[in-house]
Amino acid sequence: MVLSEFAGISMPDWIDAIIRVMFIVALMTIIAFALIYLERKILARFQARVGPTRTGPIGTLQSIADALKLVTKEDVRPITADRWAFELAPYMAFVPVFLVFVPMPFTETWFIRDLNLGLLFVFGVLGLNIVGVVMAAWGSDNKYALLGGVRAAAQAISYEIPMLLIIVAVVMVAASRLAIDGDASAAGSINAIVGDQTTTPYLLLQPLGFVIFLIGMLAELHRPPFDMPIAESEVVGGYFVEYSGMRWGMFFLAEYTALFLLVVLASSLFLGGWNWPFGADVGLGLQIVLTFVKTSVMIVLVIGSRALFPRLRIDQLMAFSWKVLLPFAIVQVLANGIILAYGGADWVVGLVSFALLVALGGLVFYLMNQKKGAGTRTVQTTPATPRVITAPEVTPVEAGGD
Amino acid sequence: MEDGVTATQVVFWILAVVMLVSAIGVVTAGNIVYAALFFIAALAGVAGIYLILTVEFIALVQLLVYGSAVVILILFALMLTRARERPQALFGRSRPIGIAASLGLLAALIGGIVATTWTTPATTSAIQPVGLQTIGDAIFTIWIVPFIIVGVLLSIALDGAIMLASPDEDDN
Repeated sequence: MVLSEFAGISMPDWIDAIIRVMFIVALMTIIAFALIYLERKILARFQARVGPTRTGPIGTLQSIADALKLVTKEDVRPITADRWAFELAPYMAFVPVFLVFVPMPFTETWFIRDLNLGLLFVFGVLGLNIVGVVMAAWGSDNKYALLGGVRAAAQAISYEIPMLLIIVAVVMVAASRLAIDGDASAAGSINAIVGDQTTTPYLLLQPLGFVIFLIGMLAELHRPPFDMPIAESEVVGGYFVEYSGMRWGMFFLAEYTALFLLVVLASSLFLGGWNWPFGADVGLGLQIVLTFVKTSVMIVLVIGSRALFPRLRIDQLMAFSWKVLLPFAIVQVLANGIILAYGGADWVVGLVSFALLVALGGLVFYLMNQKKGAGTRTVQTTPATPRVITAPEVTPVEAGGD
Repeated sequence: MEDGVTATQVVFWILAVVMLVSAIGVVTAGNIVYAALFFIAALAGVAGIYLILTVEFIALVQLLVYGSAVVILILFALMLTRARERPQALFGRSRPIGIAASLGLLAALIGGIVATTWTTPATTSAIQPVGLQTIGDAIFTIWIVPFIIVGVLLSIALDGAIMLASPDEDDN
């Protein structure tokens, strides 16, 4: 969409660019506010509470109140923190996430830029986000921040690989389908992939891809059950433990923005974005509604997973990515390659992917019901001796001391 | 087209300055984590140059591989050291060797650049961007053997890393 055409007036390119940037920033702030409110409300329902009710009608102004609090809060920098790394880290975490907005198609013609390498752009730019996280972790001079940062970096690198492989599998399917119309080279563009899903969402063709993408997405976003880098109970908030006020808010904003953008990406790649099930012929008004309905469903799924799933340990998390997700992603790419090279029908692709998904589900089920410690190296190497816990002798002086 | 050329040149010079400053920062920063962060800036500058040269694919791969993977691994390792408390001395006994090596490399590069006859396309529109499909076809058909060799090499490196990192069986 060229804004000048949209508004019916002509303007120089650089004003157009500035308007687009302003638009992104404004929209993302609103979306982050909405997401924070929704998260509070949805989680509350899962936990049989009502969530925020006091600020505004049914608590809708809660996010604004939060933001006001954050802005007016003192911005504290620990005296031993590394000045440059600490102060620049929020921006390094924030800017790449906003850049990801560029190739996202909300309707057939509403995007900032339809990049031919849109998918690669998303992951290339989003990966830089972790630099900010690592800077924050190191710059804070706090061991919990450092631990959180190391966890975040390890997790991001590990889950990026199965996710990227699944993207490869999706692009393979898209390219062979687009090749029928003679334009396979467009398969890197998100909009072209959405445009192909008029009758069949890729969820049916790549169900395994959808599931791995969702899991990888939760891990990349540090959402529970993959919230080890920012777990309050283990690393007291992780890499942003020393941040306060608006700098902390920027990390939060980046996180919710990334959540929204990855959810839009997932619904574009697998649920047909603006296209399925009505096709491209419906007006732009309906297309944007479609996009947002799919996005909302996915957001509820993502927020719900916070309340629904038990958390893992960090070693289980890493093992799950490298030993389970990565092999399945590789097998999916290989299977797609073989089927598509021999001109297999769509239903074959879908069936094979579904079979792989069933296998993945079965493996996860098996692993979860495995006897504790069986087949894995246990931490405990000596037989546990029963510990007799005796009440400590409390002298009256100590008891009253503190 | 005149405006476009000028804008490209402006961007080029900005990127060149960023790259040079960060490259100097990499070697002169006393703090090794700073050096790694400067390294990211330098690599991002290279990605920017790739963008100017209209090879978006290489630019994005540069960001994806170097920006997010390689440098993160470097930072990952550095964060676990005590680099902050004990800044390393910049110059050691090998200083003359380093100076000689870098001057030699500089001479070789300058010699190479001067010796090459550069052809300039008549107009900027004469530059045909290489499509992603062309790159893919080239890698997976003409250059498939080197590609497989690189893959095997990387697998061996990965296996070796796992071997080194895994605890000895005796320890159990």
